[in-house]
Amino acid sequence: MTDAVTSLWPFLVYVVAVLLLVATMLGLSFVLGQRRANRATNMPFESGVLSVGSPQIHIAVEFYLVAIFFVIFDLETVFIFAWAVAFFELGWEGFIAVLVFIAILAVALVYELSTGALDWGVKTRAGAPRPESRQPQEEQH
Amino acid sequence: MDAFWLIPALPLASAGALLLSAGRMPRLWAAGLGVASVGLAALCVALLARDFLAQPGVRQITLWTWMAVGDFTPRIAFYVDGLTLVMMSVITGVGFLIHLYSVEFMWEDASLCRFFAYMNLFVGAMLILVLADNLLLLYLGWEGVGLCSYLLIGFWYRDPDNGRAARKAFIVTRAGDTAMILGLFLLLTELGTLDIQALQVAASAQWQVGDTLPIVATALLLGGALGKSAQLPLHTWLPDAMAGPTPVSALIHAATMVTAGVYLIARHYQLFLLAPPTLEAVAWIGLLTLLLAATTALAQNDIKRILAWSTISQIGYMFLALGAGAFASGIFHLMTHAFFKALLFLAAGAVIHCLHHEHDIFRMGGLRTRLPVAFWSFVIGSAALAALPFTAGFYSKEAILRAVWDMPGSGHWLWAGGLLGALLTGIYSFRLVFTVFFGRAHTEPDRRPGWKMALPLGTLCALSLVGGFFALPLAGVFPARDHAVVNHAVEYLGIGVPLLGLAVAYLLFLGRQVSIAALLASPVGRALQALWQQGWRVDALYDALLVRPFTGLCHWWRKEPVDLAYNAVIAAAHWGHRGLAALQSGQLRWYATSMVLGLILLLAAVLRHAA
Amino acid sequence: MNAADFQALLPLLVLSGGAVLLMLQIAFVRGVNRSAALATLTLVLAALSCASAVEQAPRQVTPLLVMDAFALLFCAVFCLAAAVTVLLSGDYISYHGDEPEEYFLLLVLSTLGACVLVSANHVASLVLGLELLSVSLYALIAYPNKSILPLEAAIKYLVLSGTASATTLFGFALLYAATGTLAFDALGEQLTATATGRPMLLLAGAMVFAGLGFKFSLVPFHLWTPDVYHGAPAPVTGFLASVSKAAVFLVLLRLFLDADLFRYRILVELTGLIAILSMLAGNLLALLQTNIKRMLAYSSIAHMGYLLLVFMVCIERDNRGLAVEAAAYYLIAYIATIIAAFGLLTLVSARQVEREDVQLQHVSGLFWRQPLLACLLLVALLSLVGVPLTAGFIAKFYLVVAAVDGSNWVLLGALIVGSAIGIYYYMRVIYYMSRKPEQQVSQAAPADGLAVRVLSGALIVIILLLGTVPQPLMAYIRSIL
Repeated sequence: MTDAVTSLWPFLVYVVAVLLLVATMLGLSFVLGQRRANRATNMPFESGVLSVGSPQIHIAVEFYLVAIFFVIFDLETVFIFAWAVAFFELGWEGFIAVLVFIAILAVALVYELSTGALDWGVKTRAGAPRPESRQPQEEQH
Repeated sequence: MDAFWLIPALPLASAGALLLSAGRMPRLWAAGLGVASVGLAALCVALLARDFLAQPGVRQITLWTWMAVGDFTPRIAFYVDGLTLVMMSVITGVGFLIHLYSVEFMWEDASLCRFFAYMNLFVGAMLILVLADNLLLLYLGWEGVGLCSYLLIGFWYRDPDNGRAARKAFIVTRAGDTAMILGLFLLLTELGTLDIQALQVAASAQWQVGDTLPIVATALLLGGALGKSAQLPLHTWLPDAMAGPTPVSALIHAATMVTAGVYLIARHYQLFLLAPPTLEAVAWIGLLTLLLAATTALAQNDIKRILAWSTISQIGYMFLALGAGAFASGIFHLMTHAFFKALLFLAAGAVIHCLHHEHDIFRMGGLRTRLPVAFWSFVIGSAALAALPFTAGFYSKEAILRAVWDMPGSGHWLWAGGLLGALLTGIYSFRLVFTVFFGRAHTEPDRRPGWKMALPLGTLCALSLVGGFFALPLAGVFPARDHAVVNHAVEYLGIGVPLLGLAVAYLLFLGRQVSIAALLASPVGRALQALWQQGWRVDALYDALLVRPFTGLCHWWRKEPVDLAYNAVIAAAHWGHRGLAALQSGQLRWYATSMVLGLILLLAAVLRHAA
Repeated sequence: MNAADFQALLPLLVLSGGAVLLMLQIAFVRGVNRSAALATLTLVLAALSCASAVEQAPRQVTPLLVMDAFALLFCAVFCLAAAVTVLLSGDYISYHGDEPEEYFLLLVLSTLGACVLVSANHVASLVLGLELLSVSLYALIAYPNKSILPLEAAIKYLVLSGTASATTLFGFALLYAATGTLAFDALGEQLTATATGRPMLLLAGAMVFAGLGFKFSLVPFHLWTPDVYHGAPAPVTGFLASVSKAAVFLVLLRLFLDADLFRYRILVELTGLIAILSMLAGNLLALLQTNIKRMLAYSSIAHMGYLLLVFMVCIERDNRGLAVEAAAYYLIAYIATIIAAFGLLTLVSARQVEREDVQLQHVSGLFWRQPLLACLLLVALLSLVGVPLTAGFIAKFYLVVAAVDGSNWVLLGALIVGSAIGIYYYMRVIYYMSRKPEQQVSQAAPADGLAVRVLSGALIVIILLLGTVPQPLMAYIRSIL
């Protein structure tokens, strides 16, 4: 326990100092500041722009889809970076492994393109027309 | 013929096919399949028998081990020796004839397919019973035949009486089966095996003659045998079982299933030899049953019930033989009885079939010239049943009576009782013949039996006549008996008494030199008539002793505190269900909370332990 | 990696390759039947490749996976179960959802996850398999996305399963902190080296157990089960109830065995307590249930409780062989039975609007309308009850023998009480099935056709064979342990 204390005390002092500083700033402005209740008091700051309408607007779902794809493909590159660092140690085996990895990613990309996941607005889709069996049934309303 | 697993497999496969067809199979196919499968099985048995006679010796096959969990390894294995072979020949041979007969008898029935499915299932189960190498498999067959018996007694289920008879048969035999399964458990725990041969070897090694354990175990097995073979005190179901179609009565309730108890005892004879008191009890039960049933048969009017009581009585003879240690004679009588009793039932069926389903013998009469096939079958069958000289029944019954005479101790008494039984048998069997086939006709037959009925009848007639000359391959199965000096007086008496019975029946029922009416009119005669007609009032006795007190007790004790315990179980289950179901609110937040709570509890328990 | 490694890994490679091919196929030519065919082919091939892979068994492939005969046996079982699920879903899925093809892709992926799980002997592969299995299942549950019930079920499963996974991960993190290793057997060695009874290790074990216990719905973590079973499409429910649970159970068993967590008596005793609670609660909850899917969900809680008995038996090192054998047999019998039961529910509610909802009335009079399907459900239910000559009897008998060997009388008592309660609600379904046709209120037309008949017949035969000729499988399981 003593070890922990000796190694941690500068950190603790820092934390206490930060808290003190913030408290002092807020406290001083609270004590010294003047109070007004005009029309403009609660409006955005002088050079800001007044907001119009509700902030909860509909955003096209494609934004999210693309964002998610971006995250996924972006994350996959992390693995490639990791491989690149150890390129020489891993040799051909590693090269083939990464090739397989990239191939699977490519297949996923092809899949997304052809299912229309990357289309904006109107969906177009490759592949066979919908078979008869999937026609909605009469009684299914 | 190594593939003798085919023998039970054929009828079972056919039963499966018939059941799966759900009655949609054409009648001809259904009947053909039903008959052919049993016929093929009979052929297989014949091949096996030829093999066996050329080269005697035990044959065993293990089809598979059901499961091997720990030390418990029940096998699906078959065991064939002389005894099995005799049983199989009877089951498939007589079974085949009865199946052929049924084609004509049942042809107009709407559920022909169901009938043959059950019959085939029965034959398969019975074959498993006799082929079984261990008691567990035997028990499977045992319950299988019990089930088929239930299904077939209640075959015409639209009549509630038939359903009642089926239930009675099932429940009464269940009482015996419960004893039997207890016996199985006892043997398994004491001897560590259910393998029949290993079990008997182990029993002979572990136990001395007269020890308590073998007596208890054999008594429990005997319980099962009594139920299945309709012996005192569990015999009451068999007469009611006549509600089933006549071929069923012939096959199940005369020729095969009811003799399963005899087979069970014969199969475990080493075990029974270790328990002389049980064997003695077997003999006395046999004797009492045979006398009770024979007197009852005297006073019945229903043709099938007479035969049913006579079956009980004849199985009594087999038990008597087993009790006297004459296992081979018992099995011999089992075989000849299968021939002539099947013959009698089938002939009775022919009479009933041709006489608008008339069962009362006093409304028949004079059928000798009108139904000659049935008449001659009946004469030969009754002669064999009464053990008139040179018929099959004569040889087997003689053997039994001789063996009983030789039995040390109470042998002479048992012999005298058996002789009295033989006299009664002669009287009631020819009473039946004389009443039905002679005298004035009361009902006119509307048809005659066709070849499918006549052929089995003829074959069984021949078997009932010559069956006594068959030498059974039982050498080596049972211990050899040293034949004491044959007492000729005993032999002559055994020959004479059935003839005496025939003569009495002639005087009473055909010649009418002695008026039966006068006998019946006397107070003693009336009382006896009433007593015997109701089978010594055993049913009434059970009703008074068991059923009434039980229902009375239930009625009186309806609000008993014991019920509270059961109700408490129900209430607890409901309460538990309600309480737990209330937790299933369907709300995700509660589910998540409960998970966290569960986790906290778990961690708390762990931490508390660690602290 | 050399040729032998690849051979040992063949089932997993076939599944992965199949998934990629399926994706390409969907990208270029859509078609339910095509996708179903390719998925079936992949799964069957993967099952067959287990026979080839077993030549190399046991083999440690990379530090993550151990391909031993036990794992391969269950890989084959999972693949076959998934193949049956694919066949059962064909008709179902083509009536629901407007892009049915990806359903099969997800099914193949989650099977891959299950196979990775059973062959995992490293925490990393465990988590990998678990997530692959679970994430595919979220999507599968929500697949008929035009209905309310599946979406609700999927959201519930997603949130709760995520929480459970997080708990498990936390547990593993603690284990790693304490031992510095993630491989199961190394974990065991490290634990032997460190002093036993350290609270952190116990906490870690409890958290891992709790997280995985959620996946096979043990009592404090069971509330999700009926809702998810109820809402999910019937074939997916069958898959979730059988393959997913079996895989998680097996990996937990492997973790406990390899790392010998049985040394922490308190953990195992808690397991026993949870087993008893699960048996009783599951059966009591199922008692008055009229929705068959919910009823089966509750009964699955009880069945997992029965299975958990194995952990108690494993305390004694001598009994472990029998216990694992019992667990393996139980799981195989259970998978066959559950797939059959849910397959029947799929077929029975075919072409029905609210198809996820299967009430008792829907099977009313089934014996008279569809004898074969009724027989299938009958056999499945009897097997769940544990009637002799069905798979369930042998499985339960095995457990009883194991429990007797381990002298776990309390658990045995709970098992018997639970089974006794169970008879009531299983029989009630049979009672409804045998009611007269005129009493039925259902308008649902069961699916029919040659494929359905063949499949139902095959499932009946499998369940009966497992009950009448169990010896070959038993002997095989014993030989590979």
